[in-house]
Amino acid sequence: MPAPKLVALSDAVRSYTWDGMQYASGAALPIGSDALVFGRELLRQQRKNLHAIFHCNSQQLNLLAGAGAVVKAECGFTGLEVFGFANGLRRAVESGELVLEDYSNLAMPLRLLGGALNWPFVPATVNIGSDLQDRSAFAPEEFPARSKIATVTDPFSGRQIGAFRPLKPDLAAIHVTLADPFGNSIMLGTEWSRFELSRAAKRVVIIADAIVDTACMRQFPNLVRIPEIVVEAVVYWPLAAWPQSSPGMYDVDEEHMRVMNKALATREGTSDYVRDFVERYTNVDGYLDMIGRDRVAELGRTATAFLLDPYRRWIMPAAEVTRMARKTPR
Amino acid sequence: MSQTPAAAYTRQEMMAIATGREIRDGELAIFGVGLSMLAGYFAQAHHAPNVRAMTEGGVYGSTPVGGLPWGIECNRISTNATSFTSGLDALGCLVGSGRCDVGIIGAAQVDKYGNVNTTGIWDGALGDYYRAPKTRLTGAGGANDIACGAKRYLIMVAHEPKRFVEKVTYISSPGYLEGGNARARYGFAGGGPSAIITTLGVLRPDPDSKEFALDAWFAFSGVAEIVANTGWPLKVSPKAHVVAEPTAEELAQLRAVDATGALRRR
Repeated sequence: MPAPKLVALSDAVRSYTWDGMQYASGAALPIGSDALVFGRELLRQQRKNLHAIFHCNSQQLNLLAGAGAVVKAECGFTGLEVFGFANGLRRAVESGELVLEDYSNLAMPLRLLGGALNWPFVPATVNIGSDLQDRSAFAPEEFPARSKIATVTDPFSGRQIGAFRPLKPDLAAIHVTLADPFGNSIMLGTEWSRFELSRAAKRVVIIADAIVDTACMRQFPNLVRIPEIVVEAVVYWPLAAWPQSSPGMYDVDEEHMRVMNKALATREGTSDYVRDFVERYTNVDGYLDMIGRDRVAELGRTATAFLLDPYRRWIMPAAEVTRMARKTPR
Repeated sequence: MSQTPAAAYTRQEMMAIATGREIRDGELAIFGVGLSMLAGYFAQAHHAPNVRAMTEGGVYGSTPVGGLPWGIECNRISTNATSFTSGLDALGCLVGSGRCDVGIIGAAQVDKYGNVNTTGIWDGALGDYYRAPKTRLTGAGGANDIACGAKRYLIMVAHEPKRFVEKVTYISSPGYLEGGNARARYGFAGGGPSAIITTLGVLRPDPDSKEFALDAWFAFSGVAEIVANTGWPLKVSPKAHVVAEPTAEELAQLRAVDATGALRRR
């Protein structure tokens, strides 16, 4: 039996992150499941010069970029879907503060899969023939760029195809719906690229909306797509993806999505946002107070709540989870 | 389309309906977030009940509930799904592989060969040295994968001169590249864009040159207006015609999908 890996969020960030690291998160879609609260904690601990690996932009990357904590990023989609352009990321890119290397939404999980499998490269049949291949923000002097997506010969057909560079981020902070104290995790909704990311990253910290007894995993082992053997630490944090949504748990907070994105459009707005929504709480209770208890209840009344029904009986009370949390991570 | 045309509808609604009419029953289809999703699910509700629709997040078997989903993983598209998988599965196994019949993508800019830019707007042309755009847009997203892998795809875009350019500054998603059989150089699994459907009409590619020409206008637009709003000398197909107006049934089905009225506001 492994030891429980529950740790406090602040301890996880203190132990597993550093300035200049390759940090991966946002492995679900821009308005969905993402370890947003981990990004808030990165700012609270003033991490900087991050190299962000995000399958898609999310409010987390938008915030980190807007606050000047990211110098390089590799991404597929870089907006906020129906909520529009990601103002913080956009401002950082347009000002030259952040260098953004563009890929497509298939390229990113393929690159993570390549890292997970320790492949030297991943054959590319997409992104080739467009400026995703020919232009590199990391190697701006190359045109047409070939250090980003190289050209290789298919040994079987003799045809020229592309080669993606695999990704092995230093750390992945992965948001999941349910985790047990050891890190076995169940994701409700699409897993997007969290499976590949959990195997590609050198270390994985799970951020879970709820902690369940391991008996839940024994009931649904097929659904445990991230097993504890690849997990370093588990953080319990309800509404960890707020203002984004977590299927089965809570809806997107439409108002705060807009408020946040509007604030991130300017340097001043971003400082105010960090003061009001990043530095204002000291623990989970304070975080939920900051969101507003009425709002928390309202977001929880989601039409997808039925998705959680089969798992509810194993959800552990918050007090018990807190008791189990180690004082210092391994 | 023999029914009485509906009385009042917006240009965006006409664009969505014209796009939806391109989707055939039984097809394996992928819809991007936003207006393209409304067009696709309208088709499913109206004339293509057996369309096998997916989103790039790997959400299968579902329809939007409560209006336009905020995103691919939004709860509005997750309440009645029969399968949740992943981006690698949807965009890779089903689209990049060449299995997907049809996709719908949007564009900030499109050129005469159907190449799409959703990455950025630059001051002037990009030379040999890459620089950050003056205005950063949303990037390629899954559209590049659809453009490379889907058997055919539809481009939905507001018809404005700034969006219809001779040559896009940055190709985020490949259309027919420099025209002719240029796509063959890369061996893409997919066939390229079959139509550009706009707020004013429908453009289709010439079978040989692959240059897009005006194929049809809407009841409220016309050849002169479309040519004036296109940033290259737009050719007009000898078979160019007017598109049938939305029927009352089509409009009712579209508005049922677009419960929050996204297409009526814009």
